[in-house]
Amino acid sequence: MIQLKNLSKVFRTELIETHALRQIELQVSEGEFVALTGPSGSGKSTLLNVLGTLEHFDEGDYLLDGQSVRGLSDRQLSALRNEKIGFIFQGFNLIKDYSLLDNIELPLRYRGISASDRKRRALEALELVGLAARKDYHPSQLSGGQQQRVAIARAIAGQPRILLADEPTGNLDSLMARQVMELLEQINRQGCTILMVTHDPDQARRASRQVQIVDGQLSDAAMYDPLAAKLA
Amino acid sequence: MEQFFYYLKVSWVSIKRAPLPYALTVFILSLGLGVFFANATFYYQLNSDPLPHKSDKLFFPMMMLVPYECADCKPPSVLSYANVQKLKSSDIPTAEAAMYSSDGYLRLDSTALPTPVKVRLTEPDFFHMLEVPLLHGAIWPDSKNRQEIVLSKAMAEKMFGSTDVVGKQLLLDDRSFAVVAVLDDWQMLPRLYDANNGNHVNEVEDVYIPLETGYDLNYLSNTQSQTFDDADYRKLASDGRSKALHQLQYWVQLDTEAQQQAYQQFMANLAEDEKKAGRHPSPVNNQLPAMRNIVAYFGGESGDIKAFALVTLLFLVVCLFNASHLSLNRYLSNQYEFSLRRALGASRWQLQQQMLADVLLMTVFAISGALLIGFGGTALMNYLWPINALFARWDLTLMLFLLALTFAASYLVTLYPALRASFGALNQQLKE
Ligand SMILES: Nc1ncnc2c1ncn2[C@@H]1O[C@H](COP(=O)(O)OP(=O)(O)OP(=O)(O)O)[C@@H](O)[C@H]1O
Ligand SMILES: [Mg+2]
Repeated sequence: MIQLKNLSKVFRTELIETHALRQIELQVSEGEFVALTGPSGSGKSTLLNVLGTLEHFDEGDYLLDGQSVRGLSDRQLSALRNEKIGFIFQGFNLIKDYSLLDNIELPLRYRGISASDRKRRALEALELVGLAARKDYHPSQLSGGQQQRVAIARAIAGQPRILLADEPTGNLDSLMARQVMELLEQINRQGCTILMVTHDPDQARRASRQVQIVDGQLSDAAMYDPLAAKLA
Repeated sequence: MEQFFYYLKVSWVSIKRAPLPYALTVFILSLGLGVFFANATFYYQLNSDPLPHKSDKLFFPMMMLVPYECADCKPPSVLSYANVQKLKSSDIPTAEAAMYSSDGYLRLDSTALPTPVKVRLTEPDFFHMLEVPLLHGAIWPDSKNRQEIVLSKAMAEKMFGSTDVVGKQLLLDDRSFAVVAVLDDWQMLPRLYDANNGNHVNEVEDVYIPLETGYDLNYLSNTQSQTFDDADYRKLASDGRSKALHQLQYWVQLDTEAQQQAYQQFMANLAEDEKKAGRHPSPVNNQLPAMRNIVAYFGGESGDIKAFALVTLLFLVVCLFNASHLSLNRYLSNQYEFSLRRALGASRWQLQQQMLADVLLMTVFAISGALLIGFGGTALMNYLWPINALFARWDLTLMLFLLALTFAASYLVTLYPALRASFGALNQQLKE
């Protein structure tokens, strides 16, 4: 479903060029749970952003469902982000003046879904992350783990086929991290493809597959690891 | 529609997030627009055309028919009685009226306190040419001497307490006059028929009497009166009619191009004949400006108002710059939310609609503020220059123009910052 072909990304500032991604070759099939690991600054977030079409790339190609994202218009890209992809950010990125429900409905708004449908879907998503009772709360009234669960609910409310998660447990203590991880696994079991950046080797091992990135390049661990798959 | 209300709600929430900078932006915008409004009102009213369908058909003939020699003089802007009679020998105009203005005192009877009034001494066509509305009665059939008076509606109400007063008597300078007609509400702004004296910014007169009555009763002009020979300007009935005592404004209505050309030719012939007769030594110099151009012809456009208009325009530009700068800061601090919305699948077009909602809200606030400041501004200007007070009137066209201007200003103030915020790198803001 995801295919990266010889993909490269360079950040240019006035002073320096950073080769954030070098000739990435990667294939992800439907239903996989891929853990993306690597040292800080190695390009994990950049890769995830490229996959989420939040970032352009310089060379190579990115095929989503067999179709290149190159040359798609802003409208098409927005629709793609809106319908196929759910994004979970490292820093929650909830809008603090909005209720949980409003936050979760936000992506559905831009899809032209009717008000009642929107509300139903948002409530279902909140239900799934176990926060339905607090739908009218504001993000600041929640703990970090709860906020991250709301962010997950927002990402899955539109029933995306791909979930991109950038260190979803990075800011959480181990108990909360485990809860979030279990939630992601549950979502994955329902058929959603997940790519998750993590620093935690335990979490990485629970994924169906591990991909390691070092200095912008996929390292050997990117090969299919049957042992890790079995453990998951 | 639901989506539109959502956009409004989003705008509102983001205003509440930082109300002070927003209020300041709106205030600066309102200030610039309000001051501009106040001035634009005067400018617009002063330059408006009270008879747009006719102002190119009414003409003000002027000729060098004077007993002195001057090679590069403009012809005097007022005519002598005798010259008017010569011009009246033509039957080309559809309508024509000579006129001047004077002062008088009006009262019901000799026991009442006199009220000072402005008097126009004129001929019946004055009312037809300028489309003056009649409420009661009828205008004199000609301008022969008769002690009959036409009252403005306000003056009739002031004198009699009612408007249906045709046939009643009153005293104008202690001579008995019969009311023959009462005008309906009428205010010609600017009063272009009196532009040669720079009096077009004044109110129309309160009472009207026939031209010949004015001459017979020796009503002296209260504006422009020039003598070019031994004429005594105080002896209107005699010298005023025969000698070079110039005080009459004369308007003719020439509806067609053919009439206008024929009248020019008539004036040229008349000037030639007069010269041949040896009465007027100056070279021929005939002028026939249309009412539409009369203020410009007499150089009556107020330089002060023009300069002031320029200053307020510059002030508006400065305010726009400042408001735009404030707005930019606001949007940059909201850029995070823009990026988030983009990342969650809002297209640029959808963000543009969001901005439009911002613009609409800004317009509503700014126009309210601007109207308040505009009202205050006009009140202040009326106080400082009471003569202009008549022109501080707001009509629909002007209001629509101001509304459009406010929208444009709000758009300008919002557009650039919002574009910058929405085209920023997407992931940058979301990193934290
Ligand atoms: N907008 C940018 N402009 C310039 N350089 C950038 C930009 N974003 C990232 N980089 C550089 O690209 C490289 C990869 O960054 P990236 O954020 O992908 O790292 P990461 O693997 O996610 O690191 P971490 O684990 O610390 O989050 C880094 O060297 C970083 O400095
Ligand atoms: Mg990162």
